[in-house]
Amino acid sequence: MASFGWKRKAGEKVSKTVVRQFEAEAEKAENDGPGQDEEEVDWLHAIKRRREILLEDCAAKSRRLKDEGALLAEEGRHWEAIKKWDEAIHLTPDNPILYEMKSQVLTILQEVFPAVKAAEMAVKFRPLWWEGWQTLGRAQLNLGEVDLAVRSFQVAIHLCPSERTLWQEDLAWASRLQKQNLATKEKIREEEETKNQILNAPELEQDYDFESDEVLAACVAVAERQTRYEELKRTTVVIDSEGNIKNVVTGEGGSEDTATPSKEQFVKARGL
Amino acid sequence: MSTQYSILFKQEHAHDDAIWTAAWGKSEADGSETIVTGSLDDMVKVWKWSDEKLELQWTLEGHQLGVVSVDISHNGAIAASSSLDAHIRLWDLESGKQIKSMDAGPVDAWTVAFSPDSKYIATGSHLGKVNIFGVESGKKEYSLDTRGKFILSIAYSPDGKYLASGAIDGIINIFDIATGKLLHTLEGHAMPIRSLTFSPDSQLLVTASDDGYIKIYDVQHANLAGTLSGHGSWVLNVAFSPDDTHFVSSSSDKSVKVWDASSRACINTFFDHQDQVWSVKYNSTGSKIISAGDDRAIHIYDCPM
Repeated sequence: MASFGWKRKAGEKVSKTVVRQFEAEAEKAENDGPGQDEEEVDWLHAIKRRREILLEDCAAKSRRLKDEGALLAEEGRHWEAIKKWDEAIHLTPDNPILYEMKSQVLTILQEVFPAVKAAEMAVKFRPLWWEGWQTLGRAQLNLGEVDLAVRSFQVAIHLCPSERTLWQEDLAWASRLQKQNLATKEKIREEEETKNQILNAPELEQDYDFESDEVLAACVAVAERQTRYEELKRTTVVIDSEGNIKNVVTGEGGSEDTATPSKEQFVKARGL
Repeated sequence: MSTQYSILFKQEHAHDDAIWTAAWGKSEADGSETIVTGSLDDMVKVWKWSDEKLELQWTLEGHQLGVVSVDISHNGAIAASSSLDAHIRLWDLESGKQIKSMDAGPVDAWTVAFSPDSKYIATGSHLGKVNIFGVESGKKEYSLDTRGKFILSIAYSPDGKYLASGAIDGIINIFDIATGKLLHTLEGHAMPIRSLTFSPDSQLLVTASDDGYIKIYDVQHANLAGTLSGHGSWVLNVAFSPDDTHFVSSSSDKSVKVWDASSRACINTFFDHQDQVWSVKYNSTGSKIISAGDDRAIHIYDCPM
C-alpha cells in the first residue's frame, strides 16, 4: 500500500524570510529539544509553543528591519529602505507604521500610486492616527486626486485640530487646487457650450424672410457668439496668492484682438 | 413607552460621508421634534422625527468643508453649525434658509453651543479662548480666556451660571458666566477632551476623553466624583438625560453606552454601528437617544422611562 503523507505546498504566498526564520527556529528547537524533553515528549504542545516563539520573533525582527529601513531612508537609500520594510511587512502585516513610512518614501521616489496604496493600508489598520491620514492626503495629492486629498486632510484635522501644519499647509494648499480645478472645469464647460451653440445656433432653427432685418440680427448674434468663443479659448484660469480666481486673457494684444475676427471665424461665418 | 433599551429606527446612508455631529431639538411653537446632522460631505441636514420615523426636511448647503458641530436653540427655531471652513452659520429651521454666516477666523470655530437663553453661541478657539457670538448681532461679543490649548468641547450649565470647556491637552476649565471669571481649572485627563456635558440640575459635569475614560465632577467644589471605564477606545461624545438619572456616551469602539448617574454603572450597550460613533444625544424628555457616526447612519433608540 502506498504510504500517506500531507501534501505540502511551498506556496508563493509564504515569504522567503519567514521560511528562513521558521527553519532556523526548527533547527534551534531540534538542537536543544532532545536534551530536555527526552523522557517525555509532548509533541502537540511542543509544536504549539514553537509557533508562539515564531510569532514573537517575527515582531522583534520586524522592529529591527523597520529601524534599519529608517536609517537607510535617512541616508537617501530609498529603494533599499523599502526592501527592508517590505520584509518587515511580511513578518508583521498589520503594522500601520511600516505602511506609513513606506508611503512617505514612495512619494519621494515619485511612485505615486503605490504610495497611495501603502498609506491606505496605514489608515485601515489605525483609523484614529492623524499622521496616517496626512500621509494619505499628501500621496493622493501627488496622484492628482485633489478631492480625495481634501477629504483625507479634513479627517486628519478632525482627529487632531491643534496640528497647525494640517490647516496652514495641507488643507489650504489642497483646497486651493480644488478651487482651481473647479474653475477650470467650469471654463471648459462654458467653452463647450459656446462651441455647441455656434454649431447649432438657435437662430438657424427658424425660417426667415430674407428681406427682413431679422436675418441681420441673427447673423450679428452668431458672430457675437463666435467672438465670445474665441475670447474664451484665449483665457486661462489663474489663482493669485490670496486664492482669488481670475480669468486672464493670454497671448498678444488682448482686447484689441477680439475686435478683428480671425480667418477661421470668417470661414465659419461664410459657411452659415 | 418601553420597558427596555432597544433600537427603534435606522436611517442608513443619511449623508454621503461620515456624520460628525447631531442635535435633537423640540419646537416650542408646534411641539414637533427636529434632528439636525452635520457631515464631512459639507452638508447640514434637518430631519423631522414623527410617527417613529425620520423624514428629511432640508438639506442646507453653504459650508465649503466638513461640518464639525451643530446645535439647536432651546426654542427649537434656529440651528447653528460650524465647519472646517472657519464659518459659523445660523439656519432658520422653519424655512430652511440661512439667517447668518459668521467668519470666526481660521481655526476659530469648533464645537458650537447655544447659551440657555439662546441669545449667544459659544465656540472654542485654537488659542484657548472661548469666543461668544451674539445670535442677533452675528458678531463676536466677548471672549473668555483659559490661557490654555485648543478647545475641543464646550458646554453651558442649564441654569446659565457656568460654562465649561475641554481642551486638547485634557484640561477642563469652568467659568462663571456672570463675572467672566475662571472658577476652576481641572487636570481632568491626559488626552483630548472631545465632549463634556452638565447634568440638568447643573450639579455634575461629565467629561469624555481619548484616554477611554469618562469622568464625573461635582461642579461646585470641583471635586472628582467618579471615573468610569468600559469603552475600548476614545470616548467621542457624552450627553445627559433630561431625567437627571442617566447619561449616554459614544466611542470609536463603535458602541453607545448608557450609564446610571448614581450607581455609575453601565446599564446598556448598543453595538449597532459599523464604525466610530461621533455623536450621541437625548431627546427633550429622555425617552429616545440618537447616535450617528462614520458609517453614515443615524440610529434612534428607545429608553425605558
